[in-house]
Amino acid sequence: MRALSTAATGMMAMELNVQVISNNLANMTTTSYKRQRAEFQDLLYDHLSRVGTQTSAQGNMLPVGIDLGSGVKTVGTARLMQQGNLTQTTNPFDVAIRGDGFFKVQLPDGTYTYTRDGSFKTDAQGRIVTAQGNVVQPAITIPANATGLTINAQGQVSVVPSGSTTPTILGQLTLTRFINPAGLLPIGDNMYQETPASGTPQDGLPGTDGAGDLQQRMLEQSNVDSVTEITDLITAQRAYEMNSKVISAADQMLQATSNLMR
Amino acid sequence: MQNAFLVGLSRQVALSRELDVVANNIANINTNGYKADGSLFEEYLASSARSDTGGRISFVRDRGIWHDMTSGAVERTGNPLDVAIDGEAFFAVQTQRGERYTRNGAFHLNATGQLVTSEGDAVLGTGGPITFQPNDREISISKDGIISVREGASKTSTQRGQLRLVNFTKPQQLQKDGGSTFKAAANDPPQQATKASIEQGAIEKSNVRGVVEMSRMIEITRSYTQVATLLQQQGDMNQQSIDKLAEVPA
Repeated sequence: MRALSTAATGMMAMELNVQVISNNLANMTTTSYKRQRAEFQDLLYDHLSRVGTQTSAQGNMLPVGIDLGSGVKTVGTARLMQQGNLTQTTNPFDVAIRGDGFFKVQLPDGTYTYTRDGSFKTDAQGRIVTAQGNVVQPAITIPANATGLTINAQGQVSVVPSGSTTPTILGQLTLTRFINPAGLLPIGDNMYQETPASGTPQDGLPGTDGAGDLQQRMLEQSNVDSVTEITDLITAQRAYEMNSKVISAADQMLQATSNLMR
Repeated sequence: MQNAFLVGLSRQVALSRELDVVANNIANINTNGYKADGSLFEEYLASSARSDTGGRISFVRDRGIWHDMTSGAVERTGNPLDVAIDGEAFFAVQTQRGERYTRNGAFHLNATGQLVTSEGDAVLGTGGPITFQPNDREISISKDGIISVREGASKTSTQRGQLRLVNFTKPQQLQKDGGSTFKAAANDPPQQATKASIEQGAIEKSNVRGVVEMSRMIEITRSYTQVATLLQQQGDMNQQSIDKLAEVPA
């Protein structure tokens, strides 16, 4: 019976939906996390009787056909790149991006990844690094005993060196834009990798070309909205239940058939 | 006597087909832009083998499947590339198989900046596919589908195209083609839709109503079991008649 496998595709799709929702909820307080959304489409149809087929020589035709669908498929888990809210912190190393850009980060193997998580630290050599210790590009080294770290909206990093009263500019943070940021590959640790779908990275200065500007002593929160997630969870769970009811209905019908013979 | 079996069988075949349709609806209860299907049945009259049984026998036959074209619930998502249609119209999409039409407005951008569906097929504007520039920001889509952006640091908006909305004189003639798309019938070409508007930041959900589908399913299983019981009783009658008639006094 076709209904059995159709309902099974529905149950699998809803299971995946719950998985995506639970990951969103788990990352509700992850800095700069972008929520995902499972997207579904109907599967192919079996056209048992084609609509528009002529039923007589006078040109009468079937106004409706018989198209039996075979269920649902997951077409993707799209990432929604909307801006998250900014929260104030007191840490001068916290930087939030207000706009579409990403920070460029170099991994130990030399490859570049991109992140919006601006909770930076300094390593033993004074370089600005991410929470995992990867160096933020371009590398900026903060001299020992310097005070008054300032990162302005345009990404200029300046400090007051020890024994001086005037701030000096140490370097310039850059932001990278992608034409399709939803096409980036998430690799965990709040980082994304370039893919053929994301387009090539375009490095630029903060505050230009829509890359967004920087906000020091701020962090971008995740853009997960708990109300949306919970309502989606309810819908997914109920849809799962209904699909399982279809399976028991098909089972009942098969049972009635098999009971015919005694 | 055999006719009862055949009539019952025709009903059971039709019912299992109807359950397939219901199953597909329920499987797609969370599919954006999905339109529910309904089954149509018709009576099929056949003359009986013997004229003295009187009248003709009516079988049931599935005639077709209609699409419920009512709008689904519109959910606000706030995502600038999510668009919902208010009114009777479809988006035009360029697929590998040719031009298709969809109500699913969950659009994305691809690596070259083209507006595409979740499957990567180009969404058509009035002048072909719509392409954005790398430094475009603040995409806004007006009620009539005009897409405008701010390019780079520019303060004024630039147009990138207009979404093409189409409708059909006979929407029932549309054929579902998978991937939430419809295929136009040869005798009903798409026309420019005039009475539809676009809502940005919202998405049209499936129009499958859970309650309706569940009650239809109960009806299907109950009628199926009833027919099965009827067939069983017919079988018992046959059995009895064989038993009685075979009681030949020795």
